[in-house]
Amino acid sequence: MDLTTLAIAATPAFVASAVEFVEATTIVLAVGITRGWRAPLVGSVLAALTLAAIVAVFGVALVTVVPEHLLLEFVGTLLLLFGLRWLRKAVLRFAGIVALHDEDEIYRREVADLKAQGLKRTAWDWVGTIVAYKAVLLEGIEVAFIVIAFGAKGASAMSAAILGAVAAGVVVIALAAALRQPLTAVPENWMKFGVGAMLCSFGVFWFGEGVGAHWPGDAASIPIILAAFLAASWISARLLRSLVPEGVHVQARNV
Amino acid sequence: MSSVLRGIWDNTYGLLVDDGQLAVGAIVVLGITWVVASSSNQTLQDNAGWILLVLVLALVVVNLYRAGRSARRHVS
Repeated sequence: MDLTTLAIAATPAFVASAVEFVEATTIVLAVGITRGWRAPLVGSVLAALTLAAIVAVFGVALVTVVPEHLLLEFVGTLLLLFGLRWLRKAVLRFAGIVALHDEDEIYRREVADLKAQGLKRTAWDWVGTIVAYKAVLLEGIEVAFIVIAFGAKGASAMSAAILGAVAAGVVVIALAAALRQPLTAVPENWMKFGVGAMLCSFGVFWFGEGVGAHWPGDAASIPIILAAFLAASWISARLLRSLVPEGVHVQARNV
Repeated sequence: MSSVLRGIWDNTYGLLVDDGQLAVGAIVVLGITWVVASSSNQTLQDNAGWILLVLVLALVVVNLYRAGRSARRHVS
């Protein structure tokens, strides 16, 4: 695996997966601390197996069945749609229009919900298993999607993307296990902003390649595209701050 | 069964779309790029990627500006 493949596939997969793992870990921690660890760990392992199956089936099918230029157009489209969603939300958060993601508050709410449901010590804790399974699966679907998208260029890229995602999982789980509390110090919004811009950049680059556009220097164009997205986002955030200086916390879907 | 399928659809849709107008705008921009790249003009074909980039950046700024105006209506 060469350095370029590592940089292109593993780095964005690592950062994006780390954000999702932090969100899933908050829920699993809440379940483990309030209801015991066996059920949420089983739920998490089952979800991880489900995700591995999704990556194996869809990843292999995409790489082997779809012709390369169509694959680039398809993956470029998905990355752009996915990245625009993250980028928009991150800019709206920076501008104070959407509330910042607060892991601590999510953790407290989840703990309160789980305590309210009660615990029967005699039976298997299905609530804990299902809550953990659902959290890991829902957050992990985004990880699976990113791995498939970044790994779609071939076996080497797929290995790099999986490596990035697994490394992120190991780091986040190790930190959570050591701290036994939500990872509130992780700058999630900055990471989502960076990943959103990265996903959009790769989306534009690959769709362009798919339709036969010429990128000067090939992959060397990606940092230029990324800089353009960061600049446009910065301009947008400034624009929004001047439009709504007092801020307003609404759902991103409602504006 | 239909509720399960509905759930899968909602999750998949939610994964890619937060704002319908932005998503539709992105698809339109990609369509324009595809048409430009399919043209017989070699210069346009070569620069289709940069055209896509400019269109997407404009889409982002316009969409966020619209979101800001909508948020301002929530305040007032």
